[in-house]
Amino acid sequence: MSSTQHVLLSPAELAYLHASLSLTPPIRPDGRSPSQFRPLVAETGILPGTNGSARICFADGTEAIVGVKAEVERTRLAHDFDHNTFAAGSRLEGDFVEGSYAADAQVDAENVNEEQRVGDDDWVELTVEIPGYRDDDPGTVFLARMLGEALLADGEFARKLWINRRFHWKLFLDVILISPPLSYPLPLLSLTTHLALLSTRLPRLKSEGDEDPFFDDDWAAAPFIYSRNSSNSSSSSSSTTKDGKTSTTSRPPISLLVMAVGNNIIFDPSKEELAVADVALAVSVGEAPSAAAARGKDAMDVDTTTQDGLQRNLQILSVRTIDPPSRLTPPGVPNATNSAYGAAAVVASAQKQPEARAAESEAVEGVWKAPRGGARARVMAALVLEVLGRGGVADEVMDALDGVDLV
Amino acid sequence: MADRRRINGPVGTTVAPIFEDDVAQESKEAPKSTRSRAPNAIRKMYLKTGVTPSASGSAYLEIETSAKGPVSGLKLTCTVHGPRSLPKSTPFSPHMILSAHVKYAPFATQQRRGYIRDQTERDLGTQLETALRGAIIADRWPKSGVDIIISIIEGDQDRATSKSQGDETWDMMNALSGCVTVASAALADAGIDCVDTVAAGVAALVQDGSADSSPTIVVDPIPSEHEKVLGACCIAYLPTRDEITNLWFKGNLPASEMDLYNQLVDRGIEASRSANQVLVECLGETIGGAASGQVS
Repeated sequence: MSSTQHVLLSPAELAYLHASLSLTPPIRPDGRSPSQFRPLVAETGILPGTNGSARICFADGTEAIVGVKAEVERTRLAHDFDHNTFAAGSRLEGDFVEGSYAADAQVDAENVNEEQRVGDDDWVELTVEIPGYRDDDPGTVFLARMLGEALLADGEFARKLWINRRFHWKLFLDVILISPPLSYPLPLLSLTTHLALLSTRLPRLKSEGDEDPFFDDDWAAAPFIYSRNSSNSSSSSSSTTKDGKTSTTSRPPISLLVMAVGNNIIFDPSKEELAVADVALAVSVGEAPSAAAARGKDAMDVDTTTQDGLQRNLQILSVRTIDPPSRLTPPGVPNATNSAYGAAAVVASAQKQPEARAAESEAVEGVWKAPRGGARARVMAALVLEVLGRGGVADEVMDALDGVDLV
Repeated sequence: MADRRRINGPVGTTVAPIFEDDVAQESKEAPKSTRSRAPNAIRKMYLKTGVTPSASGSAYLEIETSAKGPVSGLKLTCTVHGPRSLPKSTPFSPHMILSAHVKYAPFATQQRRGYIRDQTERDLGTQLETALRGAIIADRWPKSGVDIIISIIEGDQDRATSKSQGDETWDMMNALSGCVTVASAALADAGIDCVDTVAAGVAALVQDGSADSSPTIVVDPIPSEHEKVLGACCIAYLPTRDEITNLWFKGNLPASEMDLYNQLVDRGIEASRSANQVLVECLGETIGGAASGQVS
């Protein structure tokens, strides 16, 4: 699934679309405002056999399903995983003689503070399936890497999968687009993954320390991976580092697709809009609990006024350039060089190489020409700022996602 | 009954012995290699074009390693095949069709790579394609295709650090920047029209020492030289047009610190300018060499 799939628009149509999107304010083909998303239908908990699932359907008919499955896996012990065990004399045989090791480890199980819980990026496996495309298609791989990269960027997510020093959860995220890809599916897949992870629960652990893990049968007691709200989150779900600031992200990241045409910044572009983009970026945004909330929780005086004044503590996790398909669009032919308009003299002179090159490089108003080169650094910075700024689009999207009922 | 005539190995799985000295050395005695370059200096690199006679364009890039001990630098070769006509079955294309393949040699990294390209390599290929497509004037070759093939002979990895310590992503960024620079040289060698020579550079926000010390920005980072890498970006940049063709940032920065992000991008541009100087000099040498060759 590449962003550069073929767009069936003529040069004249592309020129018209580019012109209307460059106006202030831009006029989009479907009448949306620049930062408006396509309307969508979302639901969670649709797949009973999974730990968490979600489905989102965009108004243009694209639809995606995400299922999250978890398995308990034995952690591969690195020889240098803990120097204390070497010093304590449990040494190498301790790693392999289960009984002695477990007994030894149980003693200092309490010593395993939050700092020592380290996750590994291998504990999460994210696959993307787009109908009609091979699963090793570069575009599909690019999408999967982008979604996975944002998820693992802060290292906190993998830490949530830590059970004890010998076992961890392995999480499989399967992202399936069930409609044909009518537009570049990044925002759709990212939002669906976000909701699926929000609704993901892992069974409650009953065993202690480094024992073989043993879980509670009661699914209703299973805690969410991402705790719902800060008021009922226990100390186990929000880790506090030694300098006093909480380091857990309170929700999964979202990746937004944003593009620039002329001086305008446009969000959630449809396929046709993306076909005339000057530059397109995928920006992944996470959210950390704000420092104010953390302080309030420590002081145990969470009153309504501080909750109202709360603003999101957004984090920028990853930025990637998306290859805009506009570079592969067919160019238009200006009247000056078109022999059908009686420009015979011009054509004759254009046969010579230097003139032809000159005619090729000059831009004519209203004639489509695929953009060359890249984008200015300040344009790219403006795109990122538009996503993250105060009251920016990321804020809006997070608010909207809060409205989805989690089952 | 066990076979007594042979010397059988143990029944269960075994693990290679780990000697205590190694562990002790790793953790205490051996000092971590530290960065000796200035924060805005990239490593020295060697670039040569025209190394593969059978390809229409080729280049070889080697980046020296400044770290001590068993650390290998980055070694890349790139070949460009084409522009050549597409097979008859392909639909009409008004532009040149570019395809980039990046492959690590099986022995290039600490962990062996298979012969089939994995996710990392495909991802690198896609990003390389994006970076180059901005630079190439593709509409001068309709109905034709160009293949860019890069093999990474030696990945830039410190063998002394274990896998759990090193983060693959930061190595990937260094590899991508090398790929872009070497591919740009090979494209120029093949005589394919570009708007400018594109080169890439990496800048990283690193933390040395304790967690309380303020992070600094360095260009062309070696992850093993730093305590912690907080974020990095790889930028492919066209210097004469002052344009970015590919930007890849990864890290964890609060949105309130957009200045830091912008600084990081600026330093990335700086790094790619330095790489571009090497590229331009190398291409100049190639032209000079060809001219003198014609005279003699």
